[in-house]
Amino acid sequence: MNKQTVAVFFGSRSAEHDVSIVTAISSVIKPLQMTKKYDVLPVYIAKDGRWFAGEALGRIDLFRSGKIDEYMAKHKPTLLELGDGLCLVRPSLRDIRTKIDVAFPATHGTHGEDGELMALFELANIPYVGCDMPASVLSMDKVLSKIIVEKAELPTPKYEWFYSADFSMNPEPILHVLKSLRYPLFVKPPHLGSSIGTSRVANETELINAVEVAMHYDNKVLVEEGVPNLIEVTVPIMGNEKPYPAIVEQPLTNSEDFFDFNTKYIRQGGKKTGGKGKAGAQGYSKIPADISKALYEKAEDTAVAVYKALGCSGIARIDLLIDSKSKILYFNEVNPLPGSLYAHNWRAAGVSGIQLVEDLVEYALQRYAEKRQLDTVFNTNFLQQF
Amino acid sequence: MLQASEYQSLPYLSWWWRTKDYSRVMHRRSLDRTKAARLLVAAMYMGMGVQIAVAVACIIAGAYGRLDGGIYFGLGVLLLTPIIWAHIIVLPIVLVRLIIQRPRQAALIKESRQIFAKHKGLKIAIAGSYGKTSMKELLVTVLSQKLNVAATPGNKNVTVSHAYFAKRLTGQEDVVIIEYGEGAPGDVELFSAYTQPTHAVITGIAPAHLDQYKTVSAAAKDIFSVASAVPKGNTYVNISTELTREFAPEGIVGFDSKQALGYSITGINMTIQGTSFALTKDKTKIHFKSGLVGLHQVPVLAFVAAFALQQGLTPQQVQAGMEATKPYEHRMQPYPLAGAWVIDDTYNGNLEGIRAGTELLSQLSAKRKIYVTPGLVDQGHEAQRVHQEIGQLITKASPDIVVLMRNSTTAAIQKGLELGGYRGNVRIEDDPLEFYQNLDQFVAQGDLVLMQNDWTDNYA
Repeated sequence: MNKQTVAVFFGSRSAEHDVSIVTAISSVIKPLQMTKKYDVLPVYIAKDGRWFAGEALGRIDLFRSGKIDEYMAKHKPTLLELGDGLCLVRPSLRDIRTKIDVAFPATHGTHGEDGELMALFELANIPYVGCDMPASVLSMDKVLSKIIVEKAELPTPKYEWFYSADFSMNPEPILHVLKSLRYPLFVKPPHLGSSIGTSRVANETELINAVEVAMHYDNKVLVEEGVPNLIEVTVPIMGNEKPYPAIVEQPLTNSEDFFDFNTKYIRQGGKKTGGKGKAGAQGYSKIPADISKALYEKAEDTAVAVYKALGCSGIARIDLLIDSKSKILYFNEVNPLPGSLYAHNWRAAGVSGIQLVEDLVEYALQRYAEKRQLDTVFNTNFLQQF
Repeated sequence: MLQASEYQSLPYLSWWWRTKDYSRVMHRRSLDRTKAARLLVAAMYMGMGVQIAVAVACIIAGAYGRLDGGIYFGLGVLLLTPIIWAHIIVLPIVLVRLIIQRPRQAALIKESRQIFAKHKGLKIAIAGSYGKTSMKELLVTVLSQKLNVAATPGNKNVTVSHAYFAKRLTGQEDVVIIEYGEGAPGDVELFSAYTQPTHAVITGIAPAHLDQYKTVSAAAKDIFSVASAVPKGNTYVNISTELTREFAPEGIVGFDSKQALGYSITGINMTIQGTSFALTKDKTKIHFKSGLVGLHQVPVLAFVAAFALQQGLTPQQVQAGMEATKPYEHRMQPYPLAGAWVIDDTYNGNLEGIRAGTELLSQLSAKRKIYVTPGLVDQGHEAQRVHQEIGQLITKASPDIVVLMRNSTTAAIQKGLELGGYRGNVRIEDDPLEFYQNLDQFVAQGDLVLMQNDWTDNYA
């Protein structure tokens, strides 16, 4: 029996390009290969947007050593053929064509996780892992996801948003609106993950600087109130119609601090976790979160409700903020493709790395099968009237 | 691969003749560039260089009509270079061994006989098909609480290593422990003749080294020959297994999980962190805790404790010694991995070890149990039967997943699983190294993995 070909897409034109390489190689490609159920084809999208497909791209050494530049110089970029599904064409003396049975996106941030890749897979009409295109678009826009979550009557910190262009032209009215928010505030580029471009500000001068930083990364800026007496938790969730949470995890932050990209990925969390802290994907969290049973269960329920409200499927991670005094849980943001799939948390929940990718491929096939049952063509005599 | 075969010409050559895919050489380890290895490689390259030069000269002479058939002869010589040198490389080793090493070692062994004869301490020989190194280490750890103890290092357990060990003895040791690594008929008898033990401990009998011994009976006869080399009543035998009881001669002192040297064993408790038990004699009850894992360890621990008490150690000293015992590397050694527990028993290489391991797996509770083995080597004509039995032992432990490494024993283990009625998942791995390196991808919180035995490339 022929094995299904699973193509793993990673890299891309994103500030989280390097994080995506680690996610793809350590948490997706290797376990997929170890299942022995699939032919795994790594597809690397370079920072300049060129695509390269090839087995050699599944080795971390290629990227760690910088030999990827040599590789790209030696190989012609891969071409895409849409028609009967998605076919990747590797140009050579005799072109190598590989028909993709399942796509496994492992990109983070822009031009991938934000729904762009998913749109391609929708057009090609092939099954793909993780949130579908609309859910990815909503999840990766922190403004849109907050609007949806508010509509679902789930609490989220008070916020305002504006277009970068409007602020550049005339900042005064926007700054005036922002006066309605209570400091400290968080300024975020709404489309980026891994806390890139995010700042915590305590006064208007810092606010203006932070907005300028955020504008550097995005065409929109989100400004929201900080939650007092903060306990931050994150809930990885998996599934389609019946999603279920892994373990509620607590990043080791405090109300005076937050974790930027450098702290998360470069300094391995940067904080001593003490006896209870566990080295997670970024080595900065407690699993399970150190909160009461009632809050723990509330966090699970809220996260699942957010997952459903946004139409997520496959996998996602919901970040929540808890006011430890009022015991109110606020929705913070959704990560439709968590770094390294949050495999460390799933392992702690009893799901091995191999089981995780197998289940995700299965969810993708299930969603695809259900979608195929829907009619997408409607016959009319509209054209005959012309 | 010659180095991996410990420079033994025949095992190396038999590997060379049976191997179909040489690309796997240096797959799991690479050449340790010792002085001898560097010399050997240099000599080989020089020889190959000369052969290639001769071949090229023949081809040129043939091309210019100066040598009839020179081209074909030269090409033949050229193409045969790797085959010829794969064989010639053993020659210097054989010659060095015959001319230099053997006479030198013979002198050393002769000298060691006198050293052992003169030594006034207790000389304990450890023999058996399995568990010798563990028994030795355990005796060292506990007896050292009071006595000056010396033991043969690591798994250095043949006549030559005994001789080197003897050279290092000061004569002041209270106890000298010598491990006997039998491999062929007559080995134990020879070791006894040279080391002249005062006490013998036999860890058990199991099918091992049957390529040389041919039958378990022959192996047992050789192992038990040590009993006639020590004073009567000084041979202690772990009689926990039926096979050992079957071959044990009259006059030995047996111990098992119920009693050891007159002490009764009670209150046995085992977790993945260790084992505890109590020894009772008359009205005295002494509690012990050890870091060793598995109920099969109880007879051994109890014997060592009782023997130490017999040698004049106080109960407190023996308890301290027992608490200092930790799993030995790659021998029932538990370690956490990605939320799971892995028991590394990859140095185990016999059926009794497999039995102990599978029993341990069934005794411990876990969310999911995974059993990993490539099977056993050196099982001679018993290989099929032994591996079918392994399959049945695995079935009894009911692991959720069985991972086998594809080799000559896989089919027999699968047959055993089938005969036993195993209903879980069986995975066959083509690349053991890749599996071991990515074990973290297989496991999750609450899993228990038992890895028994490991084959080096020269056995694959």
